[in-house]
Amino acid sequence: MVQVDDDLFGKAFLEMAFDRCIKCSTCKYSYKEFEPSCPSGEKFLFESYWASGRIRTIRGLINGDLEWSEDLKDPIFACTTCGACIDSCNAPHADYIVDMIEALRELAVKHIGSAENQEFLISRCEESCNPYGEPNSDNIELKKKFNLPDKAEWVYYIGCTSNYRQQNLRDSTIRFLKKAGINFTLIDEHCCTSPMIRTGQIGIVNDYMNYNIAQIKNTGASKVITSCAGCYKTIKRDFKRFGGEYDFEVYHTVELVKQLLDEGKITFKSEYNKTITYHDPCHLGRHMGIYEIPREIYKQIPGLKLVEMKRNRNFAWCCGAGGGVKIGYPDWAVEVSSERLKEAKETGATVVSSTCPFCRTNLSDANKNYNFEFEVLDLMEIIDQVDIELIS
Amino acid sequence: MIEIFGASNVTNKQVDLYPYSYDMTENESHMPDFVVIPENNDQLVQLIKFCNQFIIPIIPYTTGNNVGGLTIPDYGGIIVDFGKKMNKILHIDDNMMYALVEPGVTFGQLKKHLEENYPHLRYSYPNAPPYAGIMGNALLSGMTNLGAKIGSMADGLNGLEVITADGDIVRIGSCFYGESEAELDSWWCRYPMPDLLGLFVNWQGTTGLVTKCSVQLWPKEPIEKPQLVLFFGLTDVGPFLREVGRAEVVNDVAAFSVEVAKMEVGIPEPTRYPGEPPYTAVVPISAKTEKQMEAKLEIFKNVIDDLNKKGTNIQSIDYYEFSKLFNLKARNIYDLPSQILSLHEYSGLTWFGAYAPSHKFEELIERTDELYHKHGIPPFNYLKIMKGGHYGIFRPIFRFKKFTDQEKIVKLVDEIADVCIELGCIPYKTPSWITTKLRKKINPGWLRLFEKIKSCMDPNNIFNPGRWNT
Repeated sequence: MVQVDDDLFGKAFLEMAFDRCIKCSTCKYSYKEFEPSCPSGEKFLFESYWASGRIRTIRGLINGDLEWSEDLKDPIFACTTCGACIDSCNAPHADYIVDMIEALRELAVKHIGSAENQEFLISRCEESCNPYGEPNSDNIELKKKFNLPDKAEWVYYIGCTSNYRQQNLRDSTIRFLKKAGINFTLIDEHCCTSPMIRTGQIGIVNDYMNYNIAQIKNTGASKVITSCAGCYKTIKRDFKRFGGEYDFEVYHTVELVKQLLDEGKITFKSEYNKTITYHDPCHLGRHMGIYEIPREIYKQIPGLKLVEMKRNRNFAWCCGAGGGVKIGYPDWAVEVSSERLKEAKETGATVVSSTCPFCRTNLSDANKNYNFEFEVLDLMEIIDQVDIELIS
Repeated sequence: MIEIFGASNVTNKQVDLYPYSYDMTENESHMPDFVVIPENNDQLVQLIKFCNQFIIPIIPYTTGNNVGGLTIPDYGGIIVDFGKKMNKILHIDDNMMYALVEPGVTFGQLKKHLEENYPHLRYSYPNAPPYAGIMGNALLSGMTNLGAKIGSMADGLNGLEVITADGDIVRIGSCFYGESEAELDSWWCRYPMPDLLGLFVNWQGTTGLVTKCSVQLWPKEPIEKPQLVLFFGLTDVGPFLREVGRAEVVNDVAAFSVEVAKMEVGIPEPTRYPGEPPYTAVVPISAKTEKQMEAKLEIFKNVIDDLNKKGTNIQSIDYYEFSKLFNLKARNIYDLPSQILSLHEYSGLTWFGAYAPSHKFEELIERTDELYHKHGIPPFNYLKIMKGGHYGIFRPIFRFKKFTDQEKIVKLVDEIADVCIELGCIPYKTPSWITTKLRKKINPGWLRLFEKIKSCMDPNNIFNPGRWNT
């Protein structure tokens, strides 16, 4: 067995690449559906751009068959880490393919740096604690605006994309939580570090994670809720992997909405008479296994007609934004999204809805660039348009 | 290369070449110099002329799943990756039941297309991943799950379009009329002209670049009642295969050492415990009516009863009932094409895949069994009966860890190859190192003719050099 640098966070996944994967190419198709599943491979075509090729690249780099060069950047970083390969592959290592790719990126950042522009994720955070480079919002004004307490049972972790790019989603979520009578507050957030983990730039992860955990603990909250699929995966899964110590529960907003509906604490009272199709965010679906909860919520909204795209649930085509692609390969990110919208068009829906601000952003960009004329909305924005009755 | 194929379809970056330098087998890695992704015949004609001028190897590649190292560029050169753009299903002929496909079309792709558009037709599928290429498997005489009826994949070929070494585009089969493109409905038969397909089938890409291929389809019978058969005597599977083959009631027989079968249903350790049958088989049986199915099952049962009266211990059960005990992935043994659970466990997979004289099945089982025990490796045999019982398939197959277990496995395969060739087996999808053994046994006249044809077809030896030790 070759030696892998002990300092690497992803060491175990790099080692795993050595005696796994026969390159059978099953990762290229959605399992038993035989539909193209990998945005990266479908775009760049050469074997190095598919999951099996990346696993092989790990081997080549570690055993010295391949030398580090700029040529490696695209095959390593031009991948949305959507995890479609995980659901297609049936080998024992399937669940760890994205972990292997993230570990490969960690190794690459050390040797050749990140893909173009992805370094800004770090430098902007260093300036203002968010990857958009916007002046840091400590959320004090928001707390005042919505009359939120300092201490509460719940923390709404807004996430950078909702706070700086999709503020209607943020405000819709806050309004819902207020309407539903949830005792919640906000914190002065640092980025959850999802973009850094996905792009192999993990140097700041521990500091930011510990800061966020401390901020949450200061509120006395026992539950954290987020409307961002990326933050959800990071706080719920990655924080644990990185040694984060916390005992609060982590919710995505859809989980709370569903729970309140199931417990009979809220009902939707007015109609939303549109046909919508739901785009499964990779971070909520394939990565965290939540497929049916949002669908069950849509179905409970009076008047709303839910229609499915050809590729849905664990076979859903990625929106193209994840894995650092939106910043590293912006044109391609929107191209991937346009393929998703083409599929949405086939359903006859007029609204494309998701449960992730990052998907919403990229789908909106493709909608505009390619003139699809959809309404692109998060589920929380749709709920915001519906009357809710609180049942005490 | 960029002039011919366009910049985005050509690479010579090391990171891009690297995944093409190896496959799942033990065969030594070699880097290509370029990988190109073709879209049409004009590009390929230019490529062939260029490569002949400068004596540069051309290696056709569809998905690289051949389990024989056959797309590893032993002498460098240019990999022609057909899988990415020349992957269209050009025509399904419902009337004469064939599919005209480009080289990159996969089993999964064709199955989906037929199920969505021609649900009354089916193709035949191997125990291969869904992304394996149809044409490659047909040109290499691969297996099918209609093997007991139709023989190998190559037996179902109607015709080919090939670019030969001089850049000529040739059509073979009933599509051969006319100077321009063949009509889509003209690819219906291979005969009765001299069978020029033989110049390209089983040559492992050494005689030309095949760019179109017509493969036969079959009616999809509505009633399926696959059977699971257990063989409690070590060699009971041998007479069963012969008798059930000639009974002409089954579509296929896929017989495995029980260690393999156990892994297929998700049991991780390849161990056979006392009392367990050494072999099992999955036997697809289909029929047009319930009455026909009843008759087929009756004949099938009679075959087993007659054998058991002669001393075998064979039991069969309804496969659907049996498979309810297991999860969806386990049921994929039957629902092909599919990733086969046990075979992708690690980083390596290899075999000694051979056409076999079926009267030697018992001896093959016994002698390989000795070798398995000698090397301390569980038996991983896979057997089939083909084309109404006319011949068999004997295929020891191994998954292994390339970086730790390869040497041990190769030693076993080496000894198994010697035994099997001695007993008359003929390997297919043959890696170069086994070809070396084979050539020592083949009669000199055959070898001379073979070499003459190869020289004639490919005078500069640019097509996939190294295969067959050419």
